[in-house]
Amino acid sequence: MADLVLAVSASHAPGLTGWMDRADDATRRSVEGAYGSIGQQIRDAELDVLVMVANDHLVNYDPDDYPDFAVGTDAVHSGPAEWFKPWLNVDDYRLTGHPEVARTLLDGLSGNGLRVVDRPQMLFDDNISVPTTVTGLANSDMPIVPIMQNCTVPPVPDQHASYAMGQRLGAVIREQLPDGMRVGLFGTGGMSHEPGGERYLEIDEAYDRDFLDLIERHQHDHAAFLEAATYERMEAAGAGGTAELLSWIAVMGAIGEQPVEVLCYAAVPEWRCGVGAVRWNLATA
Amino acid sequence: MALVLPHFSAYYDPTRQTHKLVQELKRDRELRERFKDDEASVLDRYELLPQERAAIEQRDFKTLYELGVHPYLLGQLSRLIHGTVEGAGSSEASVALVRSLKGEA
Repeated sequence: MADLVLAVSASHAPGLTGWMDRADDATRRSVEGAYGSIGQQIRDAELDVLVMVANDHLVNYDPDDYPDFAVGTDAVHSGPAEWFKPWLNVDDYRLTGHPEVARTLLDGLSGNGLRVVDRPQMLFDDNISVPTTVTGLANSDMPIVPIMQNCTVPPVPDQHASYAMGQRLGAVIREQLPDGMRVGLFGTGGMSHEPGGERYLEIDEAYDRDFLDLIERHQHDHAAFLEAATYERMEAAGAGGTAELLSWIAVMGAIGEQPVEVLCYAAVPEWRCGVGAVRWNLATA
Repeated sequence: MALVLPHFSAYYDPTRQTHKLVQELKRDRELRERFKDDEASVLDRYELLPQERAAIEQRDFKTLYELGVHPYLLGQLSRLIHGTVEGAGSSEASVALVRSLKGEA
């Protein structure tokens, strides 16, 4: 029986690597402090593997054939995908994979009404490139299994489906990975933004703050959280982008009701995406 | 401020060939260079509706949205046309796209 010992979630807006300097000093310090602390916690947790639940932004798959989830099963991953390099301002990097864990998760998550596929040579844009770069995981020897989630191509698995997938992920980790294995979870996506829509240049700060409030207020009542933090509300706060927060909800499903701490929130207009980060304090950690 | 357009799912058509164009441009550097030098010859390769092709040529993103192109790929099409380097978060590509969607362009 493996142990889930760390759970965090954070945004991956390309502004964090591409144009961080557009934020004022205090905001930059707050955000850099939060991501730095996430990186430090991951390094301190003596993890055997970090499972990252991120969003595929129409990079690995095309609109006419879109899976719900994809698991990266390679021994080594690399990024960013070529076209995204000038946009992200991220150096080429490598991540250590964990094919055995990835296969177990792939097999365990398949079925259950969701389409879960194996993705060799997974391509990364900001989804994995930004959080691994700003937390110092890129080019480290931390074994990482990326799971890509469909948050933007209709039909999108909603908050209930994402939470249920997370519950299943948690069960597979605890019940099927080797005894004593220390596993971390990192959900990445959101907060409010509308890529390619008429609100492309806007952030819905009120929605973001409400979402963080819901996470805190309902940390011991996820049923109430799921009633309030709906996919429809996310879409209303930025179509095709804000629902990346479903990755946070998948993490919540995996760990169950645990105390949460908000690490940062920033609404910098030039980032075009609300940026937030949280960590859950797991009893077993 | 009230939105001009309904949620993209009201129009979304996963079979729209503009998707294929954008996806292949993202994945193929040589095709991107050709698109920059001779856009028409690249558009010739795709079975675009006449109004879809005209909308691409006229940078009319609103019509593409209404034809069912996914907005994420519209944003990337705008970057393919106007340049991918951002650096300030309010690039020419994103401003041109938003102006078109709001009917201001």
